[in-house]
Order: sequence, then C-alpha cells, then structure tokens
Amino acid sequence: MQVTLKIERYNPESDESRQETFTVDVVEEATLLDVLDVIKDEVDGSLTYRKSCRMAVCGSCGMRMDGAAVLACKTPMRPVVEAGEVPVISPMGNLPVLKDLVVDMEPFWAKFRAIKPYLDDGGEEPPVKEWRIQQEELDRVMTEALCIQCGCCVSECNSMEADPDFLGPAALAKAARFVNDVRDRGGKSRLEIYNGPHGVWDCTRCYFCNQRCPKGVHPRDAIAKVGAAIYQEGMHSDGGARHAKVFVKSTHQTGYLLETHLVPETVGAVNAIKEIPFALRLARAGKVPNPLKPHKAKKLDEVRKLNKLIESQEQATLEAANAGPTRPPADPAQAKESE
Amino acid sequence: MVRHDVVVVGAGLAGMRAAIEASRYGADVGVVSKLHPTRSHSGAAEGGINAALGNAGEDDPQQHTFFTVKGSDYLGDQDAIAVMCEEGPGDIYELEHMGAIFSRTEDGRIAQRPFGAGGAPRTCYAADITGHVLLHVLYEQLVKSGVTVYEEWFALDLVTDGERCVGVTAWDLVRGGVQGVEASAVIMATGGLGRMYRGTTNAYACTGDGMSMAWRAGVPLKDMEFMQFHPTTLKSNGVLITEGARGEGGYLRNSEGERFMFNYAPNAGELASRDVVSRSEQTEIDEGRGVDGCVLLDLTHLGAKRINERLHGSRELAMDYAGVDPIEEPIPVRPGSHYHMGGIDTDVWGHTLMPGLYAAGECACVSVHGANRLGGNSLLETVVFGRRTGAAAAQDVRRNGTGGVFSPSAAGIAERSIGRLLDKNDGERPHVLRQELADAMYDNAGIFRTAEGLEACKAKVEELRERYERGVVVQDKGRDFNTDLIQAIELGSMLEMADCLVTGAIARTESRGAHSRLDYPERDDEAWLRHTLAFYDEGQVRLDYRPVTITEYEPAVRSY
Repeated sequence: MQVTLKIERYNPESDESRQETFTVDVVEEATLLDVLDVIKDEVDGSLTYRKSCRMAVCGSCGMRMDGAAVLACKTPMRPVVEAGEVPVISPMGNLPVLKDLVVDMEPFWAKFRAIKPYLDDGGEEPPVKEWRIQQEELDRVMTEALCIQCGCCVSECNSMEADPDFLGPAALAKAARFVNDVRDRGGKSRLEIYNGPHGVWDCTRCYFCNQRCPKGVHPRDAIAKVGAAIYQEGMHSDGGARHAKVFVKSTHQTGYLLETHLVPETVGAVNAIKEIPFALRLARAGKVPNPLKPHKAKKLDEVRKLNKLIESQEQATLEAANAGPTRPPADPAQAKESE
Repeated sequence: MVRHDVVVVGAGLAGMRAAIEASRYGADVGVVSKLHPTRSHSGAAEGGINAALGNAGEDDPQQHTFFTVKGSDYLGDQDAIAVMCEEGPGDIYELEHMGAIFSRTEDGRIAQRPFGAGGAPRTCYAADITGHVLLHVLYEQLVKSGVTVYEEWFALDLVTDGERCVGVTAWDLVRGGVQGVEASAVIMATGGLGRMYRGTTNAYACTGDGMSMAWRAGVPLKDMEFMQFHPTTLKSNGVLITEGARGEGGYLRNSEGERFMFNYAPNAGELASRDVVSRSEQTEIDEGRGVDGCVLLDLTHLGAKRINERLHGSRELAMDYAGVDPIEEPIPVRPGSHYHMGGIDTDVWGHTLMPGLYAAGECACVSVHGANRLGGNSLLETVVFGRRTGAAAAQDVRRNGTGGVFSPSAAGIAERSIGRLLDKNDGERPHVLRQELADAMYDNAGIFRTAEGLEACKAKVEELRERYERGVVVQDKGRDFNTDLIQAIELGSMLEMADCLVTGAIARTESRGAHSRLDYPERDDEAWLRHTLAFYDEGQVRLDYRPVTITEYEPAVRSY
C-alpha cells in the first residue's frame, strides 16, 4: 500500500522549518510509526522522531496527525489511505520542539515531579508482608495506573495553552492515582499541591485529554476525582473551588448562571470591588442583568432534573473508566468530525 | 565531564533498582540512559513476577528453586537460583510497599497464577501490565531518591585505567557531543539484544549495547548462545501476548482445532516451559498443521469478564496489531525471539571479572536462567539482582575509595570516532545490514539449529561485520538529536553480539533448553554441563568454559 505523509520538519542547527511530503510503499498492516521507519531507512535518514516499544506501552512516539495527538505505533494507516487522506504529521503541542517530531519533554516531567509522584507512607512502618487490600479498592486507581506518560493529553490541553504553568492532565492523572490509593497517607498536604494555583481548578473541562488519550486513562475524569477529594476534605478556599460551587448553586437556584453572584462569591466581596470598573463597562454594553431582579428559568425543575442527570452520568463515567479497554477511533476522519 | 560514586548505565527495572539501592547506601549515584527511564522495555513485560508467597496454594522457595533449575535444563547455577528464590518474596513485598498495584485474592493478599513449568501458582501480577506497573513504581522511587538521571545519553564505551573500570563515555543525544562520566563503580543494566532477530518481541532499543561495551573492554560474556523464543507473539510485528493468557486457561490449537500441546508435554500441556512450547508450535507449523504460519491461541472459552479483568492489555494488543478480538475468536500466534539468557558474566552480587564493573538484569548472566528462563523469573531477577548489585557497588566504593584515573583523552577518542562515522558519505545504509542480520539470525540461529545453518550464519555475520567496518553512511549530519547516528552505532553492537551468540552455538554440540540442535538432539551432560564464556580477542570471539554450580539438584531427565 502506498502512503503519503506531509511532515513538519524543524532543523535546530539551521533554525529552519518546512513541510515535506513523502510517499512510500508499506505493508498493509503498517502503523504510522512503520511508515516513518520506512522513510527514515529508505528516503531520508535525518527524519527524527522518538520510538522504542512499538506496542503502545513505552510512550515514546506521541505526535500529531492532522493536528490531533496520537501514538504513532498505535495508529494504523490503512483507514487513512482508504479514505484518500494525506495527513499532516507534526510534533505534539504545548511542548517546545527540539527537532522534527521530537519535543522537549522536560517541562512535562517537571510537572510530574511537582505533584509528589510517589506513595506517601507517612513514615509508617509497613506490614511484614503485603498490605491487605480488596481488589475493588485497587480498581479505583487502575485506570490512572494505565498512564504511560506519552504526553498526548498535554499536547491537546487547551488550558495549558492559555496557562503554560497549569499542572495539566498527565500530572493530575498521576495525582489521582495516589489520592485514591488506600495506602497513601499524603492527605491534605498532598491535596494542597493540587488545590493551589495552576492546579485542578485551571482545567476548563474541554475533554480533549480524554478524547486523545491512547490508553483510556481519562485524565479529565481523574482531575474530577482529585477535585472531589479536595471538596470532601472541606478545602473550599481556592477560587477555583468556589467558582465551581457558585456555578452549581446558581443553576440549582434559578436555572441560570447569576453572573452578578459569580464574581463576589468566587473572589470575595473585597476583591470584587476591584472588578467594579469592568462591571460598569459590561453594564454600558448592556451585558449585565438587573441584580435586584434575578432572572429565573421558566422550567426550573427541568434544569434541576438535568443537574441530577449530569450527576448520575458523571458517576457512570467514573464507573466506565474502571471497565475494560476502549479503542480510540481507528478512522482519523471520524475522530476529527467528532472534535 | 561529570562524576559520581556509582554510575548506572540503563534505567529499566534492574538499573533503577540498582540506583535506588546504591543511593540508600549513601552513594552519590548517576544514571545514564539512552531512553527516558519509563520508556525502557521492562515496561512491556506483561504476565508477572514469580515469588513463593504461597498465596494461591502451598509453595516455598525450595520448590521455586527446583523448578527454575529444571527449567534451566540444569545449566543455571543453583546457588544463584537459590538466592533469587529465597529473597524474591521480600522484594515483592517491598515493591508492594512502594505502591505497586498487584492484583488481589479474595482475602486481599497478592494474587498469584500459574505460569509455564513453574509447578505452582507463583506468578504475582498486575492484570497483564505487570512490567508497566513496576517500571513506573520504580521511576517514582527514583524521583523520590533524587538520583541524577542523564536522560537520552547514549553510552559508547567503558573507560578503564588498564585494570579497573573508571567510567563510561556517552553521547548526549539531545545536544550532541561526547560526555565523560567518571565513576568509582559502573553498573551495566542495559537490557537485551532481541532486535538482531526478525520478528522479535523486543523494543527497537534492545540492541545489546551494554554487553558489547563490556565485551570490547575484555569482560567475558556467558552463555550467549541461549536465546528464548516466546510461544505467543503476533504475526505482523512480533508483539508479545502474555504467558498469563495460558496461565488463565487459554488453549493452543492447530489448524485442525486440536490442543496439540498434550502430544508434546502430556502433563503440562500449554503450560510446559517456553522452549518446549515454541518447538512444539514450530513443529506443528512445519508439518502443515499451522494457520498461515501461526497456531491459534484460543481464549474464547474464558469469557468476556475474565478477559477484561485479567487480560485486557492483551486484548487491546490483539485488536490493535492483529485485528482480532480474543473474546470473539482465537489469536494467530507464532514463536518469536524474546529473551536472551546469556550476558555479562557476574556473581550473585553483580561483580564482573573487571574491578569496578558490575552488571544486572537481562544484560547480565548470573546465571539464574541457564538454558531456558521460566516466565515470571526475569522481572524477579531484575529486582533481586538490581538491589544486590546496587548495594555491592555502593559498599565497595565506600570500602575501596574512589578507584582509578579517568583519562582526559577518553572523550576525545570517542568524539573522533563519531566524527569519522558522521563524515562518511559513501557506503551502505545501516538498515540494509540490519535487515540481512535479522533474517540470517532468524533463519539459522532460531528455534531449531544445525551446524550447516549456524556456519552459514557465522559467515554472514562476519561478512556483515566487514561491511560495517568499511563504513556505513549516516545521512543525518547534524549533532542535535541524531537518531540516525545512534541506530548506526547500535547496529555495530548487534553485529558483535550476534558473532558471540553464533560462535557459542556452533561449538555447543548438544541440545539444551532453548539451544536445540537438530544434528545433536540430546542433552550431553558429560561434555556440555558447563557455561560458555565468550572473550574479545582482537575483534574476534574466543571461547572458554566454566563448570556449572550444582548444589542440591543433580541433573535429571527433563520432561513436562
């Protein structure tokens, strides 16, 4: 089968970028990685990318195909060829490019290190043998334990694009893996790391991480689990936590989002005063509803039903996350549409 | 130029475990690895790790020792095997305390399942991603320990002062350029060499670099002719389907639907040792009872629930790389090169014959696997001997001081040799040689071997080594992140190691474990109950031999 790729090249020594088109013959079952290998062997030895296991467990070969992160070794090319596509292959996003398809992973690992990425035994002496733990208790962290640290989620993270310091989906999924481990004694001190600036509340819930994760880790769901643990610990002081709380409260009360409550309740009354000039500008533009006469949805009980539904769906999502493997769409065209 | 008390080359399970232990002993530790630690091939191990915990039935370290000795076809050193089996349970508990997520029994203990030729359900597992779970746990501990990791530094050569090892030279892949890494103790933990075979389960990184570094420095390699073929690998790209699939009750069937293993191993059936199962499969295929060059691994009777709980990773691999959902239909599988029993000759503390040089994991040969490794014993070897080697290296450094002199010219020599490789503009591309090597090894140094085939293979390897010496062309002329250069150097390592493997195989005129000679079908304890040692001799392989350590179990007929 003949495959054509457009590859984004970058040579750090000459600081040149260009897009180059390659056409090669490969076997029917070839993955994107196999195609790159054929190009490197037979056409241009300077084409640069990382690889190792070629079985989707080492996490080396994250890159973008038509703008969406994939593991090259887990991406079969036949559906692409059959759809008549000529995909653009480029390096992952949100990380500096070193050369061609290779990115600098150091910012990624710096965040990994920042979340205290190891079991905190609290200085307790462990038992002589193993901890007695029920399988169901371990299953709570099994989904996050699937993570191979490939960076595909980080590549697509919208929040990190806006705030490069956001801990991001990979590190926070790792965090969830410890938060819900019954052996961990990190408690509040662990959660404080995730509750702080650039922590869980920076996530905009775009779900791109869930969509692009090649291992079914569901990082967004993991972030929700960490957020829930923070809530359960009564740590509501962070603006992010309060912000989320006001959202739920005001939709429950009125069926609408009460913007006039949102700011004071999130940042506090004193800080809200600083936002008055902004509020006045909004008012002049006709964007502020009358605070004395809050609008109320006509069918408030339906909104509340919706709230309930979402709650139960979230529960189901968490449960599904702990079930068997899922397969990302084999057809990239289809994947693009759903984005 | 950097300096540490202990430098570990390689950051898979053995390397990280060694680094963590050396650090616990107070040594200043540096890790040099061509891959980021979590990219190491230990992470691809699926089925599990053996230790006689006795959680799933009666078991003890003596039984584990006996079945490992028997599995090794009596070539394993029994003192070393006893160490591994006795200390194994402690290492498992330690991994669990570090945070490893082992699957559980009803009463909350670590679950264990049967593996081939083990004699008892002894394999602890984390579903079927055990290696992945352990690799990430050890990386977590490595981060916690604060050990310095030189990621994507490719080790080139050992540096010696004529007597002892004083460090390594390494190519900094990211920025380009040779770095001198001075050390009082160097621990090699660079993994296997399976990439020299076509259709291997091994990662692209498994190219025998560490073994070849040691060999060139004059350190002998042991039992290099023993290459394990795993019975269940996918046809298209050799990806591994765990032995746990059979441990959970999977069947192997031929084209007639028959569970043929009972014709070869009347008692153990599918759970005979890997060498036996691979030979049986190949015989079925060769005699026309295969299915398109494969046999069938049938899991359909296990049901969706069990497959999803215990084998979901294997299901995913089969769906991704064979287009088969094992819940619905059998997976076509064939034997593929998987694990190299041989390696750098060490004692039970990782010492090599060169002062200051240690080795652990697949690149080492203690020897605990002898002529055939049991499934689940390689992960155990990495943690037991990684730990012991890290401890030994750190203690030796504390006792003996800093060691010899690291010649400042070492980096310059390495830099010039890389310069020559980069400057070459005419000649063959490395992949041409790599492909010819992989074909020759698979065809002639595979599951079944003959003098004729092995001699042809040796001639081919020698020819390829000559062509390599004449110079291969690296097309990428840059210094930054030059993977073309690294692949060319890796090819050199593979060619040297292939020579050691084939030379040892020609000499061993018997069949033992994974070394199966059609022209010498019997095991010959009289002549061959001994370890092969391969020495470097002006670029060529010189063989010598050493007796096997037998403590308790006299060699007996091995049947399953």
